[in-house]
Amino acid sequence: MELYELLVVGGGAAGMAAAEAAARAGRSVLLAERESALGGILRQCVHRGFGRTVFGEEVSGQAFAEYWRRRVAQSKAKVLTDTSVISLSRDRTALLSGPTGLRRVRFGRCILSAGCYERTAESLPLAGTRPSGVYTAGTAQALMNLGHYRIGNRIVILGSGDVGQIMARQFVQAGLEVVCLVEQRGALGGLARNRRDCIEAYRIPVRLRATVEEIRGTGRLSGVVVRELDTGKREAVECDTLVTALGLIPDRTLCRAMKEEGRLPDWLRLCGNCDYVHDMVDSVIREASALGAEKGREWDN
Amino acid sequence: MERCDVLVIGGGLLGCFAARALTAWNVSVRVLEAREDVCTGVSRANSGIVYAGYDTRPGTLKARMCVKACQDFPRLCDALGVRFFRCGSLMAAFGPTAERVLQKKLAQGRENGVAGLRLLSAGEAYTMEPKLGPGLTTALYAPGTGTVNPWELGIAAFENARDNGAAFCFSSPVQALRRAGDAYLAETPAESYAARVVINCAGLGADRVRELVFPPAWRIVPTAGDYLVLDDTVSGFVRHVVFHEPEEKGKGLTLIPTVDGNLLIGPTERLWNGSADWATAREGLESLAALCRTVVPGLPLTEVIRSFAALRPNPYAVREENGAWVPEHKSINGFAILEEDGLISLLGIKTPGLTCAAELGKYAAEKAVHLLGGPGRNSRFRPERTAPPAVRDMEEKRRAALTEACPEYGELVCRCREISRGEIMDAIRRGAATLDGVKRRTGAGMGRCQGGRCMRQVLEALAADRKLPPEKINRDGPDSPVVTGGYGAL
Repeated sequence: MELYELLVVGGGAAGMAAAEAAARAGRSVLLAERESALGGILRQCVHRGFGRTVFGEEVSGQAFAEYWRRRVAQSKAKVLTDTSVISLSRDRTALLSGPTGLRRVRFGRCILSAGCYERTAESLPLAGTRPSGVYTAGTAQALMNLGHYRIGNRIVILGSGDVGQIMARQFVQAGLEVVCLVEQRGALGGLARNRRDCIEAYRIPVRLRATVEEIRGTGRLSGVVVRELDTGKREAVECDTLVTALGLIPDRTLCRAMKEEGRLPDWLRLCGNCDYVHDMVDSVIREASALGAEKGREWDN
Repeated sequence: MERCDVLVIGGGLLGCFAARALTAWNVSVRVLEAREDVCTGVSRANSGIVYAGYDTRPGTLKARMCVKACQDFPRLCDALGVRFFRCGSLMAAFGPTAERVLQKKLAQGRENGVAGLRLLSAGEAYTMEPKLGPGLTTALYAPGTGTVNPWELGIAAFENARDNGAAFCFSSPVQALRRAGDAYLAETPAESYAARVVINCAGLGADRVRELVFPPAWRIVPTAGDYLVLDDTVSGFVRHVVFHEPEEKGKGLTLIPTVDGNLLIGPTERLWNGSADWATAREGLESLAALCRTVVPGLPLTEVIRSFAALRPNPYAVREENGAWVPEHKSINGFAILEEDGLISLLGIKTPGLTCAAELGKYAAEKAVHLLGGPGRNSRFRPERTAPPAVRDMEEKRRAALTEACPEYGELVCRCREISRGEIMDAIRRGAATLDGVKRRTGAGMGRCQGGRCMRQVLEALAADRKLPPEKINRDGPDSPVVTGGYGAL
């Protein structure tokens, strides 16, 4: 069985930085990434706003990912793409599945940097039909920027997470109509700069203290019912696409079975958005590099 | 004009099982399905419970069939390569009204011959289901109750029927049906069909199909029910199907541990508004959440990953009144099966229709075979079907061998449910035409991300296989494109 001092699960920003730092510190490292390339969510981010503290200027997520891919390639970290870690065991082995088959590897330590999944409309739960045309913001982003698809024409956005605001801007840039962004709180969420650069700059109509309470349409989405929370007033809004930006949930599926008395074992650490949702990729990189290089308090607390 | 001995109208669970049963005889069988795939009507959404048989009135065909079908279910699932979870069930009472119902069900079940049925003390019930809320007084335990994935069962019956020679025609709604000599002529938009016997399994439309030939007698008045689906993170929260029998009038709560490790909660019961297909109702979903707080107060409703609605096809006898057909006041309790001049109609088959699907299919097939004058047995009939590989359920060594031989099974497309590219491709080869067709066959898209991650890969695999642009690929049914434009459309 192959043995690595460090197994890194997930090759997004956190995983790449942690693997690179550990390899640079002389550790033997295996970095497993389920997609066909390293980069994680950065791969689908065509907008600028990444790496200000690293480069002194902002580049696109794709360019930022490319920079880290090169750094990982220059390190001695071993990278497996298209490879999923199916399970971790307490005996510090992991089962990996990929195009070269199923393999079990042994490791000393493990960093889980599997990122997040998005809260979906289906989890709300929403009344009405189940037509096509309902996407999370991240899925819409992947369909547009990795698949180069058009996802619809008239879009309602529910929730004001950052990815939703960034996508609102991209929809308008791509010539799609954003009917409105519906947010149940009294103010938009997300970063101030996204509110300014995406919502205000592109004049996205915003409906605060409101929610989408029903989905309509058979086949393709034909509209949603928006309810004002304070007045209870309902309004049918015609649209063919609903994009949800309801927040991110760290994907810790793999360590579910690893907990002992509510604690993770000493050899297992969470990193990046899998640990907590970060505002800036720069802070992900900083934390992940320190964790990979075993600097700071992370392994010892 | 296409000719065959038996025409089955409707490719739901009943139609697929009728076709499968018919292929055991030397008859030619053709199934006409209105939609693009099997199990897309009433069969698409239900509890997936295999009932033990204590709910139905003794002496009825329904009671006899249900008890037998439940006993035979492991064998049926074995033959078809379908997962079956014989988890048993608890019917829980929280007061004297419900206790009386349980007493009645116990007596009824014993008369029907349901094995192992017994009343539990509150202590015993809490030992078996510690998460049930306070105030439970007694429970009726039925060890025979189980759960099955309805899609898996229906698709297995379809594949087995097809392998045994039944022909399936999709996107073929029957618009006209008439008697012509000793045959029936059926017309779909694309083709006409002639058959000596017709089995009508058209689900919600079975009354309309029958009325293409005969005057109204029974009509289907559907009711809708809402369900919540919880993630497999709550697997093991309840270990049996739990039927909560309410003290007050109204519907109780049913908790269903599925073969996939999810927990289903539901159904409510409400009048169907008839306009929007399979729409959930806000009040229904909210009432389920409220019931959960008393019946299973510790259940983490944060783990809800989906909600859906099911339709019950309730059959009502109708009479003519001032030129209109008015339903009699009460729905027919038994199975409504009519045999009229070579047209066999399975009308309004509701609970326990899933449990009895194979039995009902056999029953209809035998009637058809009799009408055809007793053709011989098909010596090449094979009741067994080999299920395609599912890597998640495989033992490590076998899985390693499979992925080594076929790397496609190593590449995971659906992360939530651990579904490989190989499984996606199997589903497409076996007939999945839409994203949901792939979902029903593999489980891809049924996890917590609801297809957010696998959507693009499944879409592209379908488009490549069908040699269609991606915007022509539907999610579920006609006019439900996953994307509205292909490469470069931006």
